Amino acid sequence: MNLKIKIPDCLEPDVAADLVFSLPFDINDHSENLDGCFAVTHSHIYIYENGTLQRTYSLDDIEEYVCEQMIGSSMLCGKIGGEFVELCAFTQKYFIRYAEVAKLLDYYHTSGTLIEDNGEDEPVCPKCGLPLYGSKECLYCANKGTVFSKLLKRCKPYIKYFVAAIVFTFFTELIAIILPYIKRLIIDDYIVPQNGDLPPFLLLCGLMLALLLITWLLDFFKFRASFRVATGLSRDLRQDVFAKAQQLSLSSISKKTAGELIQRVSSDTTTVQDFLTNNGRDCIIRAFSILLLSIILIVTDPRLALFVLMPLPLVAYLTYKLDYVLDVRYGNVWRNRRNTSTLLHDILNGIRVVKSFGNEQQEISKYTDASLKWANSVTRAERIWYLSVPLIGFIMTIGQFFVLAFGGEMVLGRQMQLGELIQYTTYIGMIYGPLWWVIQLPRMLSEASVSASRVLEVLDEQSEIQDKEDAVSIDIKGDIRFENVSFGYKAYKPVLKEISCEIKAGEMVGIVGHSGVGKSTMINLIMRLYDPTQGRILIDGVDIRDISQHSLRSQVGVVLQETFLFDGSVYDNIRYAKPEASFEEIIQAAKIANAHDFIVQLPDGYNTRVGDRGYSLSGGERQRVAIARAILHNPKILILDEATASLDTQTEKQIQDALDRLIKGRTTIAIAHRLSTLSNADRLIVLHKGRLSEIGHHDELMRNKGVYYDLVMAQRQTTKMKAANLSE
Amino acid sequence: MTQNDRFPEKAAPVEADILRLLDCSALHFTQEDSGFLTLDFEGKTYHKVSLTRLIPFYSDDTFVSVSYKIDETEFREIGVIKDIRELSKEQFELVDRWLRFKYYAPTVTRIHSIKDNRMGYLFVDADTTSGRKTICINDWFSNFRMISKKMLSILDVDGNRYYIPDVNALDKKSLSKVELFV
Repeated sequence: MNLKIKIPDCLEPDVAADLVFSLPFDINDHSENLDGCFAVTHSHIYIYENGTLQRTYSLDDIEEYVCEQMIGSSMLCGKIGGEFVELCAFTQKYFIRYAEVAKLLDYYHTSGTLIEDNGEDEPVCPKCGLPLYGSKECLYCANKGTVFSKLLKRCKPYIKYFVAAIVFTFFTELIAIILPYIKRLIIDDYIVPQNGDLPPFLLLCGLMLALLLITWLLDFFKFRASFRVATGLSRDLRQDVFAKAQQLSLSSISKKTAGELIQRVSSDTTTVQDFLTNNGRDCIIRAFSILLLSIILIVTDPRLALFVLMPLPLVAYLTYKLDYVLDVRYGNVWRNRRNTSTLLHDILNGIRVVKSFGNEQQEISKYTDASLKWANSVTRAERIWYLSVPLIGFIMTIGQFFVLAFGGEMVLGRQMQLGELIQYTTYIGMIYGPLWWVIQLPRMLSEASVSASRVLEVLDEQSEIQDKEDAVSIDIKGDIRFENVSFGYKAYKPVLKEISCEIKAGEMVGIVGHSGVGKSTMINLIMRLYDPTQGRILIDGVDIRDISQHSLRSQVGVVLQETFLFDGSVYDNIRYAKPEASFEEIIQAAKIANAHDFIVQLPDGYNTRVGDRGYSLSGGERQRVAIARAILHNPKILILDEATASLDTQTEKQIQDALDRLIKGRTTIAIAHRLSTLSNADRLIVLHKGRLSEIGHHDELMRNKGVYYDLVMAQRQTTKMKAANLSE
Repeated sequence: MTQNDRFPEKAAPVEADILRLLDCSALHFTQEDSGFLTLDFEGKTYHKVSLTRLIPFYSDDTFVSVSYKIDETEFREIGVIKDIRELSKEQFELVDRWLRFKYYAPTVTRIHSIKDNRMGYLFVDADTTSGRKTICINDWFSNFRMISKKMLSILDVDGNRYYIPDVNALDKKSLSKVELFV
């Protein structure tokens, strides 16, 4: 990441020579605009405002840096003598860079080393300035040639079908050009002179018919070959993107939303496939058609050819403008339709609430407004469409009228034959299609290029979590050791700081602390969904980066608070952990998980469909199915992340019983907000502000009266208050 | 002074379920060197208090929540100021200035052009109260929208906010450009 983006003009030469970071800032804490610069050398920080040096700080005097992001502004503060001092304020544009500088300066304070660039990706494209959203390369500035050559390589398995489609299309186009010529011969040699020589006349008619039949056959084969390429290519792209998305690390996946990935797997691959199969074939043929027809038109009569070509620049310009306006207008139609449909969905889903508050009239008026807005936007868009599209069509084909007028005059003056004119006008009609396509091509090309870049980005991405070449598969016993582990999802915001602790095989350990303190992050690191930014984690003495991911994860089981069940039956969902499990094993697992009894009462037993995300089951039932799944998985290390939260007392007891059976003989790490649920833990790890604050048994920690004691007391007080409120 | 000493009321938390409207005459804010505010209220000193506009789209001055965090994690609300204009002049200026800084959002006064790059981005070339800017907006269906019948909210790709308090008060040319997109 570039952290030297503005160098003040007024910088002293010795400071300029020693400059490490230099960032602009654009406001002060009075919300006034200014032209500021925050410059850092190996020894000092210099703050310039409107070209004048305002303040200087020694790096050694600042103990800590904090980059505070507010709603519309941000500021960088430094801790001097135990108190924070504002260093500079800026708009959000610069936040990521300042946060990075704060992290590097903090590192300098702890280690004495000032890293100038730690290799973080640029947040924006240096060329166009658009945000990269985690992409390595700007989707809009990517070299289109490189993008399409990469894509064409993917067509290799279908090359014979692709070539066949081109050959068939070539011959259909050729026949389309020959047919008007035959028509001309029939008119000029037989119809106009009323030539009664029947055999050659019939031969020409027969030839026309035969050529039409051949065109039909060629079209059939052309579409069949194109279809093969289209379906094959889209299937390959979809499968490859999906498979790659599965292989990528969670940190890579997290940079993109689920919707974004779904779009890449389905919509973008379809756009690329459409472009390649239709336009890839068409571009060769249409270029050939334009070239051949232009030669014929110019050779036959260059003056008439000029009439055809003259309106094209205007048409190209109008098409570009119209496309833009229509895009915006139809975009508005789409937005209003979406709003109306969301509103309808919302009101109908909440009809009980609407009725219970007697707000029917209010909702009717809300829906009427939205519906009217939608109708108006459709009218506005359609008005433009019906006014302008025929007009553009008229301007484009206006040359044809001139050709008919001048051509007709030439026929009457015997400078041209009637058949020749008909052939000419037919060719003109034929050239408009490819010309229209050429006018549209830049837009199609850029759309396809963006989609292709998005697809290729996933395909070319290297997973940040990769198995080493010599990664080992081990039979895990369950000893876990954290050695000085630090980690942050965003490099500038560390979540865990220098954690060192040991969990013994078979031990049950609870992780406690405030929300957002890094409890779930710790278990994410144990599962190696992310790698620590510093330090290492050892399982049975082996660094987890040396263990193959499959070996590690196949021996780690997880039960989460929000249980995710796939759309399928209860049987499918339990078996997910071990596809080869026998039905007896599945029932056994369900029995241990206290799930069997409720499954028996379901209408289709184990074959009952759980519905989308399992929502046809209650929260407790879903949780028990998930525990059965974990039992079947038979993990050596078990992770319980708020497994009994948000359940009623009765259900919680059933699940706690199931969990007690599950944890026997396994290393178990549990996170629970309700501290009472961790009372049977052998030890508790207490996290505070991202650091390991205490470790020990409940009684021991209570005696110490530290962070854990405060947590327990605060929770007891809340429980008491709730109970008091209820009794009132 | 330790962090715990700074928050002496920790043992007796404010009741969370009661709206506590603060008496403006009892509040005394000062600005720390860090840029944050300190509040002296009912004999207690609260450092690094946060002021939050509860209805930022409707009002800049009314219903402002005053809160702080224990150990920078646990949220505690001290109460709500119903109208900051009831503060003394000097206190109002301090609080108003801080809120304007926190919610820094230039107002768009004139629009020169709006261009859609057809890849999901909108580029608005506009005069704002902090100078002429080209505002780049991603997903403009969500980030360039009317939040009331008059007010347009803009959120750019960097997270900066802009407002047009009353689109109908714009000049005709600017209005016609905006109308195409909202």
